This record gives sequence, C-alpha cells and structure tokens, in this order.
Amino acid sequence: MTHSVLTPDTHASRSASRRHLLQSLQSVDTIESPQQQPTAVQHDPNAALISATGMYKSYRKGRLIIPVLKGVDFAIQPGEFVAIVGQSGSGKSTLLHLLGTLDEPDAGEIHFEGNRIDNLPSKAKDVLRNKYFGMIFQFYHLLPELSTLENVLMPSMIGQGVLRYWWNRRDHAQRATELLDMVGLGHRLTHKPKELSGGEMQRAAIARALISGPQMLLADEPTGNLDRQSGTEVMRMLRSLNREQNLTIIMVTHDSTIAGMADRTVRLVEGLVERVG
Amino acid sequence: MFKLILSWRYLRTRYIALASIISVTLGVATLIVVNSVMAGFSQEMHRRLHGILSDLIFESVSLGGLPDAQWHKDEIGKALGDDLVGITATVQVPAMLSFQVRGQWITRQVNLIGIDQETYADVGDFAQYLLHPENRRALSFLLRENGYDERLPESGWEQRRLRIEYQRAFQDQLRQVETSRQAALGGPLPSEELAAMLPPSDPYGSIPADPYSTTHGQHQKVEQFDEAKEQFTGVILGLMIASVRHRDPDGEVRDYFLCRPGDDVNLTFPTSPPSGHAPSAQSARFTVVDLYESKMSEYDSTFAFVPIEELQRLRGMIDPETGVTSVTSLLIRLRPGTNLAEARDRLMDRFPADQYAYRIQTWRDMQGPLLAAVQMETTILNILLFLIIAVAGFGILATFFMIVVEKTRDVGVLKALGAPSSGVMSIFLSYGFSLGTVGSGVGMVLGLLFVHYINEIAAGLEWLTGREVFDPTVYYFQEIPTEIEPLMVVFVLIGATAIAVLASVLPALRAARLHPVEALRYE
Repeated sequence: MTHSVLTPDTHASRSASRRHLLQSLQSVDTIESPQQQPTAVQHDPNAALISATGMYKSYRKGRLIIPVLKGVDFAIQPGEFVAIVGQSGSGKSTLLHLLGTLDEPDAGEIHFEGNRIDNLPSKAKDVLRNKYFGMIFQFYHLLPELSTLENVLMPSMIGQGVLRYWWNRRDHAQRATELLDMVGLGHRLTHKPKELSGGEMQRAAIARALISGPQMLLADEPTGNLDRQSGTEVMRMLRSLNREQNLTIIMVTHDSTIAGMADRTVRLVEGLVERVG
Repeated sequence: MFKLILSWRYLRTRYIALASIISVTLGVATLIVVNSVMAGFSQEMHRRLHGILSDLIFESVSLGGLPDAQWHKDEIGKALGDDLVGITATVQVPAMLSFQVRGQWITRQVNLIGIDQETYADVGDFAQYLLHPENRRALSFLLRENGYDERLPESGWEQRRLRIEYQRAFQDQLRQVETSRQAALGGPLPSEELAAMLPPSDPYGSIPADPYSTTHGQHQKVEQFDEAKEQFTGVILGLMIASVRHRDPDGEVRDYFLCRPGDDVNLTFPTSPPSGHAPSAQSARFTVVDLYESKMSEYDSTFAFVPIEELQRLRGMIDPETGVTSVTSLLIRLRPGTNLAEARDRLMDRFPADQYAYRIQTWRDMQGPLLAAVQMETTILNILLFLIIAVAGFGILATFFMIVVEKTRDVGVLKALGAPSSGVMSIFLSYGFSLGTVGSGVGMVLGLLFVHYINEIAAGLEWLTGREVFDPTVYYFQEIPTEIEPLMVVFVLIGATAIAVLASVLPALRAARLHPVEALRYE
C-alpha cells in the first residue's frame, strides 16, 4: 500500500528533473558566505544527499553574540536515518533549520544532491522546502483553521497555482487521503487539529510532510511532546518509511532511546560534531 | 490556493475582525443614505427649478423691456435654428400685492409676471403646478365655478357669489339698523361713522366704485360692475403668498388660506414711462383665479401671474401709434439634449452686451449659487464620511496586527512548507479585501434598505423620540426625496474596500517579513 504513495519509480523520474531544476535555481543568484573556511570533510560530498561543511552560526542577543555552531561538518547519504543528538543549546535544532534552508549559516556551505543550496535566492529555497524536503515539528504545527485533510493538502496548495490545483484537486485529495490512511487517520479527514490527540496530530504532520513526495524528511523532536506509546508509534512509522521507501530522515532528539532507533547518530557538543556513531 | 482558503477561514473564524468592519459597514450605509437623500433633494430641486425657469432666459435689464418682441423672437429663432422648441414673452415687474382679511389689510411683495397663456406652457411646466385640474389642462385667467384643490373647498364662483351675498346682506342689516336709529334720533348719523362701519371703498380710481358705499341704505341696481357676476382680470398667486403653513395641535401640517380663488386683490407696480419721465405707481384690482404650488418656497412665496396684454396695457408698454408691444423677458425652451451654455453663447454673440442691455442666462446660471451650495454640501459630507471609513481603517489595521501576532507560528509553518513571502502577504491582503467586501456589501444592503424605507424610518423615529425628523413646513416636501445613483454606490463600495485593503497592507508586510525560525519558536 505504501508503494502507491511514494514509489521508487516516482523517485527515479523526479530525480533527473529535480537536478535540472536545482542547477537552474543555483544559477539565479549565488550569494557567497562571509567566511569560507576549508574544513576536512569526513565523507565524499558528491555521494551524499545532503552535506554541511564548516557551518558556523551565531545569534545576537542584545549586544551579546552567542555562537551556536562552530564549524560543523557532516554528510548524510541517500536512504539514511540519522539522529542528531545533544544537550539543550548544543545547536541541533539550529543545524536542522540550516539544513532545511529555514535559516542561513554565517559561514560554511550546504550541498543537496551535489548542489550548493545555502546561498540560493529565497524563492528557490521556498521551492526546495515545498517539493524536496518534508518537515515535522515537535509541536506538530498543524493549522488550526483547517481540517486534517486540508492540512495535509497545504504543501500542494502552496506549490501550485489556483487553477492548476483546482484542475487536479481530485488527484491531490486522493493522494492526501491515501497518506492519511497510511498513517492511520483515514477516519479523521474532516476533523480539526483540536479534535485530534497529540499522536494523531503528529501522524497528520507526517502525512503533510510526505504529500509532495520529498527526498528527505527533517524531523525536529518528533516525539518530544508525545507519551511513550504515541512516540513509539511515530518512530515505528518513520522507521518503516525509511526502510520501505528508502526515505532519508534526519531527526533531532535529546532522547537516547529514540535516537537508538536511527541508523546512526551525530552528537553535537557545544556547537561541534563530537562523534558520528 | 492556500491564500484563498486561509483568508476565507480567517474570515469565518475571526469574529473580532468582523466587529472591526462594523464601522466600515456603517460608513458605507451612511454614505449611500446621505448621497441618495442629497441627490433626491438636488434632483427634485433641479426638476422644479427647470420646470419653472425654462432653458434659457433672455431678459432686458431696463424697466421698459425689449421693444418689439416679435423682432426679437425672429432673431432668436434665426440664431438657434432647429434647437428652438418654444419661446414665450413675459413682462416681469416687482409689485405690491394687497388684500383684506377680516377688515385687515395684508400686503406682500411679489414678482408680477405677465404671461401669454397660449405659449407660456410651451417653455416650462408652469401649468402642472396649478391647483385647478382644468387649468392644468388648459390655462385660463377666468374664475372657475368650483373644483379646486381639496384644501380649497370654498373657492370659485360659487364661493364668490356666497361671499358677495353675505356682504350685501350684512350691509343691508347695517342700513336697517341705521334707518331705525335715524328715525329714533330724528337726524342722520355723521357720515364718517357710517363709512367706518362699511367695508372700505376702493382707494383706486380705476376700479368701479362699490355701489353700496354711496347709497346710504337705499337698494339700487348695480349699473357698472356686479362682483357676483363679473370678475376683474384674473391673477394666479403663489400658494405661499395666499396662505400660511402651520402645524395643528395634532401634528398635521396644514395651509391656512388668507385669500382663495374668487377673492379680489390689489396690485401696485411701476409703469413703463416714455423717456424723460420717471416711472410712477400703477394700481389695479384683480381676481384670484387659481393658486400656484411648485413646492419651491422661493417661487411659491413671490410669483403672481397675470395676462401679459393686461399688464402691458396697465404699464404702458403698447406703442399707441404702432401697436407694437414691449416685453421684459423671453423664455426659451430648447430641444432636449441641446448644450445650454453653447446655445446661450450663440445668443450672446447675436446680442453682444456692448450693444444690447440684455441679460441672457441658462436656468443653471440663474440658480447657480443654490445648485453650487447643494453640490458643495454633498462634497463636504462625502469627505467627512470617507474620513469616518478611514478611521475604521485604523481599527482594521490594529485588529490585523493582533491577528498577525496571533498567527505568527502559522506563518512560520507556511514558510517552512515553502510558502513565499508574497504568498503570506497575499493571505492578509485578501483577508482585508474579503473584510472590506463583506463590510461594504452589508453596508450597501443596509443603506439601500434605509433609503427605500426612509420615510417609514423617519416616522418611526418621530414616534420614538417625539421630535420632528423631517419638517415639511421647513422643506416644503411632504416626503424625503431620494435618488439612488448606481455609479455613486459603486464608487462608495470601491472606496471602502480600498480603505480596508490599504489598512491590511502594513500587517501583511509584517507577516511577510517574519523570519520562519523565529516565527516557529514564537510562544
């Protein structure tokens, strides 16, 4: 059943067109980082789905500049399930936001499928987030005014114009319904988020993250706000997506048990990668 | 698509925003009501003014008027060509009207107009403002038997005969009393005393003397003029000259008539003397044959119409040798659609001001200050009311800022899902547009309903507050006139919606500029 949602064929056919799109986006407007620090990369960046090299990021709090990432290097291969762990304030969420192009690094580069993405123009980043990345948050972040089905459809609505979306609305609705069936919410299509439990909301958020057929899922503490049973359910679902559909997943967590379910772990300590497990 | 669905959902779920557009609704409704009432007043006034004034007024500034009216008519006909539809000559002079009510003399300053009863109706709607239905069909300066307006049941020949009969019976009685007193005292009363008891004799030599004033109690057949059977030259008086409008204790507005069709009045006006002589006052007695009610107080309280030939004769405007008559004005009606100002200019070219002492005006020129005042009032009211809607715009601005703050995390989510900043901005702009559309749409419905039932609403308010909302004694309209101009409604709707959209620009910009990470972390 899950193959009907995200088939390998779909991946193969999309991959070529996406690469072309990314290259064209790259040529729009290249912004150089303020500091370019060559750092030793622990992997072959060309083979990685996404890689970060020499990532620096700091936040300003009044007159105080707080460094968060102090030169992070790591790479994720296609189909990997990676957990980024670390204590509060170690910079793991910041790293996830940078990988998801929600924020820009002060220095360093991020490459996706071999193309640099951290310096893309904002419109190109919007397209990346909409079509290539799926995102899951600790607090689910479903839109309260919309039903479960509409929440899942939101990335499709954002990614297409009114007419195109309207023309294909039945296909979109069918796909969203299939995804909700997959996460076990086929009976909750018209319910508003406030009528769902935490676990159900997170499962709906997973369905939303999958609607565009992304190549990579970025999950920020996906179980952080759930009880153990719901957390386990969500993790089981992510694990199965990774194994059955070869979906690359990068998950931030502070729970070592949850992190243990990933293929490998990247531990951040005070803004640096301490250990890659 | 997401912009439409989200702005629609925000519209349905954020009632505080709906509350903020109540002021837009009220502003739109008020604008529509005020503009409709002002347009109603204005149109009614235009209709009446134009109905009375004809299209072009060609008048001489001299007391003697234009010599040889026919030559002038021919020249005007040549200048205007096919655009000329009707032309009539009038003689207009200031005059004093006097009449008696229960022994008291009442005088009124009037604008006496001599009209040609054959052609006067061609240039304006004069006839339709007369009270007798027969006169509305065919104007006549002869007194009708009866059948005047329902406010004037005691009018016409019927009433005139009754009045004369009563006066004569009263005078008979007086004489009998006098005769018996004379017999008892053995001598006649002083003639001054008797004179004081009788109705005053005509002070003007031109009017036949009252045959009873000199008979001293003896019945004598009237030889020259019988008031019960004959009338003086007819005069049509403006309704407000002949009446007083007042309010009954029960609140009904009524006209109390001081003189009615069938009563006689005196008119005193200046003559048109030959050159070298000063004008003198000429008086004549006229019989009121009808009343004129245009509902424009300016006209109803000053106009008195008499036959032009009689006025020309009395004023000496007929050349005794050639029989050529003079007139003071020519009223011209033009083909509908003719450019009035252009036609006026053609006549001004034909009769240049340095050669002819004539004043050529369109009806709009004559009523320019009045029409301009109404226009000015409408403009100022519109500006004020749009300022009210602009104030409502600030309410929308504040509410939208609140909503943007409330929706900060959702904005972060939308950006994380790939929504561009322009898309986020569009959500709030289209939300503002929807609010403006709903607010102005409801306002339009309210406004149109208010206009439709304005008189009922005025009556309801009067009943509720016990105060007069629309006083017919002030406005001379029985009902509040209204006129809905579709273009005005469209402009108001567009203006109000634009203000709502403009008010949402700043909050929308703020939402668009939110940093996704900060927005997602917002608590």
